[in-house]
Amino acid sequence: MALLDSLGDGYTRRALLEVLIVGTLCGAVGVHVVLRRLSFLTMAMTHATFPGVVIASLIGMNLVLGAGLFGVLLVSAVALLTGTPGHSAGTGPGGAGPGGAGRAGTGGRDVSTVTGVVLSGGFALGVALMSARDGSNRDLSAFLVGSVLTVQESDLVVSGVTAVVVLAALVALRKELLLGAFDPTALTAAGYPSRWLGLVLLLLVEAAVVTSLPAVGTIMAVALVVGPAATARLWCSRTSTMTAVSIAVAVVCGVVGLAVSEQWDVAAGGAIVLTLATALVLSLALAPRGGLSGAPAARIAAATHRG
Amino acid sequence: MDRWSIMTGNAQAPCLTAPDGPDGAPSPVAIPTTAAPVAAVATALAADAIALPDQVGAVIPDTAIPGAAIPGTAAGESGGQAGAAPAALSLEHASIAYGRVPVLHGVHGVLHPGRTLALIGPNGAGKSTLIKAVLGLVPVVDGLITVLGRPPGAARREVAYVPQADTLDPDFPISVGQVVLMGRYRGIGWIRRPGRADRAAAQAALEAVGLAHRARDRFGTLSGGQRQRVLLARAIAAQPRLLLLDEPFNGVDVVSQDALLAALSTLTAAGTAVVVSTHDLALAQLISDEVCLLSGRQITFGPPAEALTAEPLRAAYGGAALEIDGRGVVVTRV
Repeated sequence: MALLDSLGDGYTRRALLEVLIVGTLCGAVGVHVVLRRLSFLTMAMTHATFPGVVIASLIGMNLVLGAGLFGVLLVSAVALLTGTPGHSAGTGPGGAGPGGAGRAGTGGRDVSTVTGVVLSGGFALGVALMSARDGSNRDLSAFLVGSVLTVQESDLVVSGVTAVVVLAALVALRKELLLGAFDPTALTAAGYPSRWLGLVLLLLVEAAVVTSLPAVGTIMAVALVVGPAATARLWCSRTSTMTAVSIAVAVVCGVVGLAVSEQWDVAAGGAIVLTLATALVLSLALAPRGGLSGAPAARIAAATHRG
Repeated sequence: MDRWSIMTGNAQAPCLTAPDGPDGAPSPVAIPTTAAPVAAVATALAADAIALPDQVGAVIPDTAIPGAAIPGTAAGESGGQAGAAPAALSLEHASIAYGRVPVLHGVHGVLHPGRTLALIGPNGAGKSTLIKAVLGLVPVVDGLITVLGRPPGAARREVAYVPQADTLDPDFPISVGQVVLMGRYRGIGWIRRPGRADRAAAQAALEAVGLAHRARDRFGTLSGGQRQRVLLARAIAAQPRLLLLDEPFNGVDVVSQDALLAALSTLTAAGTAVVVSTHDLALAQLISDEVCLLSGRQITFGPPAEALTAEPLRAAYGGAALEIDGRGVVVTRV
């Protein structure tokens, strides 16, 4: 295999390490994204961090750091405009009924509508800034689709530290995050600061998204976060096993994608995401729950978006 | 909802004379003390709705006497200072609003430890809103709500909330045991893992609703009624002093309803105050010490024998409340 042959090269080893770190991080965070039906919001976040990359490039700071800072701003803006997504304590008139997760609209401020506008608006800002900028845009377009083979040691350090912090937070808050995902009203009713917990989760997701930018880019990062967890959900009936399977799927698909990329000389980010998509589609066809008769489109929607 | 809720109560004179039920079952005594009689009556009620007026007529003295000992209005006037122990729940001319839209106003009454309050009213009457206000999730814009002697938000550790089971995602990858263990989270505190005592309490709570054998099953594989029992077990595991249930009997089969009633009567016997919203007037008559009849405002608050009579029910339900033969009232189209 080309991947094994090229293991002697520093860039391949770095790429492999990056895929392992980012896979573990995104696999774990993705479980919460899928269980809380925040896939669409995550996609908006990935796209809207793009202007952060461009701005960072303009003022000459670390691109990942720039994306991260911009992402924090963005999450705060979304949280302010809509109330914290994933936090539906029924504080709106619609909440009196079986409002359910992910429908925490407050006063007509539908989350998915706001999110959709934030998605295109953020991306448009990035494109506008990039077009106004002189000279080569090569490093920036790499952030659009990712280039895991050009990952630097500094990127690895950022990824590693982020992964450790995010995973520690997920472990520390696992009880509260589980309750908040399963029954957000009960979380608030029990006296937990559910708004803050929702915001913390969004920041963790944003951290995972930004960390995966060098590997798969802004456009495909959502696949790395949501894909493994959506695949795992089809096979698991416990959150703990789902997390383990999700991490495994993310890492294995990352490595397989990298191998495919080396073997046939295709873009690494694309190969990784294609592998993830294949795993999800195969699972939708083969997983026992729901049976084979269910309409695939409905099951994909059930596994990922959920409104 | 197109189910028929049937109740009795009598505008002229409560019918207290017929102790025998449809199957000749003896009339139940002292409802909150033991689980079995409650369950038996619930079954009998469900089995023969037509015979209800007589049947429930037999129940009225049991619920009315403890209710009369502490008249809702008198205790309500004295607010949270009624007697030595603070009231579990004290409502003082409370009005509740979402933003600027008033949803419910003029709610006034008191609930003491170990007693059961039924919230009755048509859809949109404000039952869920009142429960959310007691939880501190919706603001009280006028008047006062006092929970265990404190403002609503401050008493949350001693208040447990049971949502309708069908508001939760049945596909969520979680076991029955894990759901019940959630009732212990607040006591466990941040970061720490559930200990042996927590697992034992969760198991005991699951036994109390008769589902100990399903602990390892996925939550979504249970029937609607069983899921409702699991959620009650979660609340029991939290060992609350005030328990709030939102429509716990909706779409619940007879077996699960009996199990819910048995567990609730054990709780009230141990001193927990219970607030339950329901469409089922017969059930409310059976299990409650106080009834709060709502329709955007409070129609009445008092013992079921007084609250569930023709006049207040007509005020709440309008033409859907039909008097039968001067002996009882049937509410259609809840």
